[in-house]
Formats: sequence, C-alpha cells, structure tokens
Amino acid sequence: MDVAAMSANDWVGVFFSLVAFIGMVAVYVMVFRPANKDTFESQRGMALDDENHISMGEKR
Amino acid sequence: MEATQATPVKYDMEVVRWFTIAAAIYAVVGTLLGVYIASELAFPFLNFDIPYITFGRLRPLHTNAVIFAFGGCVLMGTGYYMVQRTGATRLWSNGLAWFTFWGWNLIIVLAVITLPLGITQGKEYAELAWPIDILIAVVWLAFGLNHIMTVAIRKTTHIYVSNWFTMGMLVMITYLHVVNSLAIPVSLTKSYSIYSGVQDAMIQWWWGHNAVGFFLTGGFLGIMYYFVPKQANRPIFSYRLSVLHFWALTFGYVWLGAHHLQYTALPDWTGSLGAAVSLAMIIPSWGGAMNGMMTLSGAWDKLRTDYILRFLVVALAFYAMSTFEGPVMSIKTVNALSHYTDWTIGHVHSGALGWVAMVSFGAIYHMVKKLWNTEMYSDSLVNMHFWMATIGTVVYVVAMWVSGIMQGLMWRDYDEYGALTYTFVESVSAMHPYYVMRAIGGAIFHLGTWIALYNIVMTVRQATAARGVNAVPAKA
Repeated sequence: MDVAAMSANDWVGVFFSLVAFIGMVAVYVMVFRPANKDTFESQRGMALDDENHISMGEKR
Repeated sequence: MEATQATPVKYDMEVVRWFTIAAAIYAVVGTLLGVYIASELAFPFLNFDIPYITFGRLRPLHTNAVIFAFGGCVLMGTGYYMVQRTGATRLWSNGLAWFTFWGWNLIIVLAVITLPLGITQGKEYAELAWPIDILIAVVWLAFGLNHIMTVAIRKTTHIYVSNWFTMGMLVMITYLHVVNSLAIPVSLTKSYSIYSGVQDAMIQWWWGHNAVGFFLTGGFLGIMYYFVPKQANRPIFSYRLSVLHFWALTFGYVWLGAHHLQYTALPDWTGSLGAAVSLAMIIPSWGGAMNGMMTLSGAWDKLRTDYILRFLVVALAFYAMSTFEGPVMSIKTVNALSHYTDWTIGHVHSGALGWVAMVSFGAIYHMVKKLWNTEMYSDSLVNMHFWMATIGTVVYVVAMWVSGIMQGLMWRDYDEYGALTYTFVESVSAMHPYYVMRAIGGAIFHLGTWIALYNIVMTVRQATAARGVNAVPAKA
C-alpha cells in the first residue's frame, strides 16, 4: 500500500471505514454481553404494552 | 415499557388517518400506472403517439407514485402512529404533521404535472426538478424534526427499535437526497448536476441503492418490528437481534451502491467492495427476517384466520428472498449475466410488491381497525386482496426472472466464428410473452389494491355511521 500517494479523500474513506468497523464491533459486544441480555430483552413486549394508555382522538 | 400514564394519553391521530387513506389511494394510482407502462412494453401501440403517456415519461411517474406517494404516505402515517404509541405521548407538533401531509401531497401533485411534460433531471428515483427537490427537503426535514422531537418528549425511558429504524431513515435520506440533488439551476425547470462522469454515476447509485436501503428497507423494517408483534399479539422473538439488525444495516448499507456499476468506468475495486458488503448484508437481513417470523413461534395457527398477519409474514418471506437475491446479483460473475436485463426488474418488484407493499398493507389494515375503532368491513375481501397480491407478485417476478435470464443468455451467445448468435431485436421479440405475463401479474396485483381501497372506505363509512356523523373515535 502506497500511503504517501493517498489523497485526502482516501483518508476520509479510511476514517469512516474504521468508524463503521469499530462501531459494529462495539454493537456486537454490547448486544451479546450476557450482562446486557435482560436489559435488552425486557423491551421485547414494548409494542404490546401501549394499549393501556390509548385515546385516539385529535389533540384539542 | 415504562409508561407511567395514570390517564389515557390523547394522541394526534387524525393526520395518521389521512396518511392512511392517501396511501390506499396512491397504491391504486401507482400500480395502475405500472400496469399501463408494462402493457406499453408488450403492446407499444398503447403509446398512441402521445408524448405525455410514453413509457419514458410515465415510468418515472410510476416509480415516484409507488415509492414516494404510496411508500412515503405509509412511512409518515406509520411513523407518526408508532412514535406516539411507543412513546406514550402526543406529537411534538400536530401542526407540523399536517404541514408534512399537505406538503408531501403537493410534491406528488407537482410530480404528476411535471413528469408527463418531460421535465426531469434524468436521475433515477430523483427525477423531479430542482425546485421540487428543495420542497422535498423542507417537508422531509419537517417530518424528521417532528418525529425526533416526539421521541425526545416521550414518556417512556426506552426508545423502541421501530423508532430507531425510522430515525435512521430520516437522517440518511436527508443526507442522501441533499447530496445527490446538488445542481446548478439554469431555469425554473432545468438544472445541471454538480457531478460529472463517474462521480455522477457513483453519487447517483449511492443515492439509488440507499433509497432502497433506508427508505424501502429501513423505514419498512421499523413498521415490521411494530406491527408484526402487534398483529400476532406476541413479543418480538429477540430484541437483541433487532438492535443488531438496525446497527448492521445502518453501518453497512451505505457501501453497497457501487454494485450497480459493475463493468463500468468506475474503478474495479469499488464494484468489488459493493458486492462484498452486499453479501455481508445477508446476515443481518436474514437475522431480521427470522426475528420477525420467529415472533410467531407458538402462534402459527393464527395464520389460518388472521389475514392481516398473512400479509406481514409473506412480506417477511419476500424480504428474506430479495435480500438474498440482491447480493447474489451483485457478484460480478452473476452480474455479467443479470445486469441490464429484466432479472433486475424482477428483483426490484420482488422487494417492492412482495416486501414493501405487503408489509404496508398489513400495517394499513391493522391501523384502520385501530384508528376507526372498528372491525374490517369484510375479512373475506382482505383475504381476497392477500391472494391477489401474492399471486400477482409471483406471476410478475417469475415472468421477469425467465425473461431476464433468457435476455442475458441471448445477448452473450456467439457462434464458432465469434459473431453474436442473436440480434438485439430477436431478443426483444423473444421477450414478448413474458412482457404480457408481467402485465397480467401486475394487473392482478393492481386489482387487489382496488379491493383494499373499497374495503377500507367501507370500513371507515361503517365506523362513522356507527358513531354518528360528528362523533370523534374514542378508544382503540
């Protein structure tokens, strides 16, 4: 790899590639960390829990 | 969920009702245009030598109608619906929501006027003239601001994954639309892109594929993650998987656009990168599809009687299929055969009809019942619509698969002297039966949208009649 020949655009690309890669690693660690399992999975039913506070009328 | 409301929250759902009805109408209009232009390809006399209804002018009107009119209304309607309900709060600004409704519809009217007149920038899925592009940015930003601020004022501690998908779409589509639309205006209807050559192509397909990735995939995945659990009355199979699905798509999708430009003047590595990341995207896409389907674990019997749930589950099947097919088509060896052929059209419609439209109608039917606090006028008509949509999609996609692969094989075939075996006209002639078949498949799907519109209108009338003309729907 010819580092000296890399343009500003190339370095911007390298930066965002690394951000995406490191970000994905961080997400995998966060999601699969056993200590976080219950925290995440406690939200499984969130979509089902919104029936108790419903009134579908227009704002007055 | 940590909703702490002692009394019911009063939501702003009237604008959602209007978006829902508008979406049902645009489904009819958009697919009618599609059937007509498909028929024009099979029977070119249907142009009638009228420039305003030629394929070249109606095709962008069809794509704008189905993607931005139908899809946009579904996304905005469901976006406002989900963010209020999962946040236990009303909209940050009901007035801004109405601005997005009328602004979005004004854009659609302008598209209906300008595209048949031939006023276009010639950029696929971004054809509209520059003043309309500015209007799109303004209305989209209003939608984004309203949605994000509603998330900010939520009464729950957690932001449900559907809202993450919607917000990801909002941020990325703003970025993509603005960058792709940068142009130098020379008149009210004419402008020149600031990009040229391969940069123009690269930016165009960076936009083009990410319109698919964030508008037609990310936004509708948000819908899937809310409406599948709701309709099945089951918690989502794995919330961790949904989080991973969101971030993997968000980090990954933006790299794919170059796979549209294999074997062009672009540097070879860009196409390879696009293909490699496309293949990597199979993992989160299938993870998400499985997550949606496994939500039905222990409740598969509901599919026998719940026709709305059928729409949502078949949508997931098409999502899984097209997110496998797309990466395969991006591989250079396959792309050499598939590119520029009808296979691409089949792939796109597998996603558009099978995934986007199916999940949309599942969400629309679910919302209609909730928004008008009633049952559907006819469950049999929902079932009939489901089968017409499924059969129409399959007929359409199979026609284009066969046609596309045959096209590719005919174009690359040569004899022992190195001369092409078939002329281009011979390949066009060979396509005719499949173009007729495609028009029939599209027509079946289109007739299904009429049934949906009729059923929805009758449901609304039935609900209105039940409560009296001036009553406000109370609880859902």
